[in-house]
Amino acid sequence: MTLAHYLAVSGLLFCIGLFGALTRRNIIGILMGIELMFNAANLNLAAFNRFLAPAGVAGNVVTLFTMAVAAAEIVVGLALIMAIYRNMNTVYAEDINLLKG
Amino acid sequence: MDCIAFYALAAVTLVSAAAVVRLRNVLHSALFLGLSLSGVAGLFASLGADFLFAAQILIYVSGIAVLVLFVVLLAGRHSELHLRQTNKQWLPALAIAGTALWALSRVARPFSGLLAPADGQPTTRVIGGLLMGDYAVPFELISLILIAALIGAIVFTGVEAE
Repeated sequence: MTLAHYLAVSGLLFCIGLFGALTRRNIIGILMGIELMFNAANLNLAAFNRFLAPAGVAGNVVTLFTMAVAAAEIVVGLALIMAIYRNMNTVYAEDINLLKG
Repeated sequence: MDCIAFYALAAVTLVSAAAVVRLRNVLHSALFLGLSLSGVAGLFASLGADFLFAAQILIYVSGIAVLVLFVVLLAGRHSELHLRQTNKQWLPALAIAGTALWALSRVARPFSGLLAPADGQPTTRVIGGLLMGDYAVPFELISLILIAALIGAIVFTGVEAE
């Protein structure tokens, strides 16, 4: 397996996640697309670490930090979704227009 | 053998990612998200990143995917199964995603024919040393972020005392 195989998989995963984040109406669906993009970036970091700097593990450490930040992000995002659902009774992005003039 | 494992894992990851994006039922999307994250964990294992494989299973598959599933079950309604789950902007979104893919392929082209230089080594011990040494400050900052996220989640979802 060459590096290009892994880069192709992570690039496709990123674009699928981007497409999902842009087209989903449901906020939970948008968050799931963002998670897919995070995973594509993590895969890229691990692949570059394996192929370009196999002696060190700096890429793996950065991936761990990304995972922790992604976990924090998804926890706060889902808490916000629950608060929005309780107050406005909707999970659709276009219905959340309180600030629209 | 390597080849078969890689292509199987890549197929599982990408097909279930497409299912996450396209399926109408959000519950099915959340389940496929778990499958896609497991596929990425397998790709980590095929890259020789053993600690990342374990962390991916622990954090993503058994943490984040289950959390998303809980919120889908709490904030879902039966009527949603008959509503359209995507907006009308699929053509611009497809253009943006295609442009991103083209740009990524241009950037990745110089690295195309690279083979793995050596067999992978176990990484867990080295990662532990780095987290306590060179990366100690970011490691502590991460714990601060996690505490902040914890408190934020409690504040956002907590019921006010009447």
